[in-house]
Amino acid sequence: MSQLSLKRLEKSFNEARIIKGIDLDVSEGEFVVFVGPSGCGKSTLLRMIAGLEDVSAGEIEIGGKVVNELPPVQRGIAMVFQSYALYPHMTVYENIAFPLRVEKLPQDEVDRRVGAAAKVLQLESRLQHRPGQLSGGQRQRVAIGRAIVRQPKIFLFDEPLSNLDAALRSEMRIELMELHKRLGSTMIYVTHDQVEAMTMADKIVVLDAGTIAQVGSPLELYHRPDNIFVAGFIGSPKMNFISGTVASADGSNAVVDLGALGTIALPRTNTAIAGQNVTLGIRPEHLSLGDGQFSLDITPNIVEQLGIHTITYATLPGGENFIGLFEGNPDLVDGKEVRMGFDISKAHLFDANGLAVY
Amino acid sequence: MTSTRSATLFALALLAPALIYILTIVAYPLFDTIVLSFTNASLRQEYDFVGWANYQRIFGAGNFTEVIIRTFIWTFFSVSMKMIIGMCGAVLLNAAIPGQTLFRILTMPPWIVPMAIGIFMWGWMYNGQFGMISGLLQNFGLTNGPIAFLAYGNTAFWATIVTDVWIGVPMVTIYFLAAMQSIPKDLYEAAWTDGAGRFYRFRRITLPLMVPAIITMSLLSLIATFNSFDIIWILTQGGPSGSTTTMIIDTYKTAMGSRKYGEGAARAVVISIFVTIFCLVYFRAVRKLQQGEAK
Repeated sequence: MSQLSLKRLEKSFNEARIIKGIDLDVSEGEFVVFVGPSGCGKSTLLRMIAGLEDVSAGEIEIGGKVVNELPPVQRGIAMVFQSYALYPHMTVYENIAFPLRVEKLPQDEVDRRVGAAAKVLQLESRLQHRPGQLSGGQRQRVAIGRAIVRQPKIFLFDEPLSNLDAALRSEMRIELMELHKRLGSTMIYVTHDQVEAMTMADKIVVLDAGTIAQVGSPLELYHRPDNIFVAGFIGSPKMNFISGTVASADGSNAVVDLGALGTIALPRTNTAIAGQNVTLGIRPEHLSLGDGQFSLDITPNIVEQLGIHTITYATLPGGENFIGLFEGNPDLVDGKEVRMGFDISKAHLFDANGLAVY
Repeated sequence: MTSTRSATLFALALLAPALIYILTIVAYPLFDTIVLSFTNASLRQEYDFVGWANYQRIFGAGNFTEVIIRTFIWTFFSVSMKMIIGMCGAVLLNAAIPGQTLFRILTMPPWIVPMAIGIFMWGWMYNGQFGMISGLLQNFGLTNGPIAFLAYGNTAFWATIVTDVWIGVPMVTIYFLAAMQSIPKDLYEAAWTDGAGRFYRFRRITLPLMVPAIITMSLLSLIATFNSFDIIWILTQGGPSGSTTTMIIDTYKTAMGSRKYGEGAARAVVISIFVTIFCLVYFRAVRKLQQGEAK
């Protein structure tokens, strides 16, 4: 049985529909990441689960019980905010103890729980400090500590790492994953950063304009995106898209005319796409230098040497941007044409509606 | 070295107009008042230095100590009521209620209406014969006959406080409202998800985070209320029988009523000393609050 179920969930602010009928099941102990661009409704969805936003239509079930009308505290959730939401006038101890004080727990129980959380989060030496005296990472830990002491069924994280610098963010990412392993609790995590989503999630929910674009494991989303939105959102640098027309589709192969770039035959059984305008997708990291099963002659505008990788940026005859990512430091120069190829099995095809054709 | 010197001169040149202005309208009159307080100046052209005689007289005889105590009591109740009502008003105006903007606008009239007009209006409301308050009390059967609030010492004292509070509350409310709105919404949402109710959130989040605003406003209001002249002068002129005579009224009466400029100046100097102490406390508090924020 799933621990959290969203059923036809909707949210409107006046005339604007922000969440447009979402169905989702989250199992106990799962680390679920809501990811999507700004304004896709991911934070609103999280706040609805938390009870900070009313539900316009549909149901939220936690542990088999509809919680639409319950206040946050009765839902068995704890939330970590993007801004940490620490009380600046209270010590770290009092910040972590806040939910326990609300519950009026006896002092020895408060001491025990705060002590345990502080130990897990390595905050023991900071308990008497104020939030203003802590680093960003430490503040983040205090916010997590305040969530932990409540022993919730579900942790909700609203872009908790977005205020940290890159180095600290990757450090905290690992800490959060370790914490998830240790506590074994269900965690729902909102981010716009697809790297966070890919590295942390058991299950990623990609949101696009208030609807779910796809739900799946990180590798499912990477290898078999359901649509062009997910294909473009997951992966960095993003997937290259080339417009074309299906010249023929005989049930075993679809031949796609890519204009000046030539034609490519992809193994596809769908015959309905014959004659359609389609989009071919190929990830920058799936390109190789030299000939491949399909090859293109590309003249990079910019070449970025990152040591471990080299990234090239070019513009195709059709006007599309085209990025290549190659291991090491191959001899690539701006303005000098180079042949790039890829394996046909790595290519993605999207129909006129942007849906993947497999 | 030369450039530093020219920079200093340039800075002084820029400051000069303000410095001249302050010296003319603040420093010189203050100095002159202090000098005057050691003289027996009156309507006569000449006057003599009398040393500490004026100070000895005001503290030795008469009712000046009583006036000081009355001023402090008057100020204490007025400031306390402004703070309490202002805080309640800010809480209500900050609540997500329908017509919030209208209520916010409605708090402003006491502040916007010219002070003298507001005070006259209160003067009429306090009137025993045709005043609204006395009329209402009689209509509700709370009093047997008309009460002329400004005719009795006790009621006049409170009537002047109420008017002062009415005029002072909007500014306190708006200031507290601004302070309240600067508290991040996330803190309340975090507390709400942790199960904290309205009163608990107010007690443990709003109030502690408003301490700097409360201290600042209390001290500023203390300074302004201590020197409040117009309200008492228009309503009672310090009467009846001196029951609403505060230090500033007393000083004015002595200097301008009895034409004892020297003795009036001595009283003014005493007021200045008190206000200076309040200002020092205020600046110290502000510095401490800033240091606290820096931490």
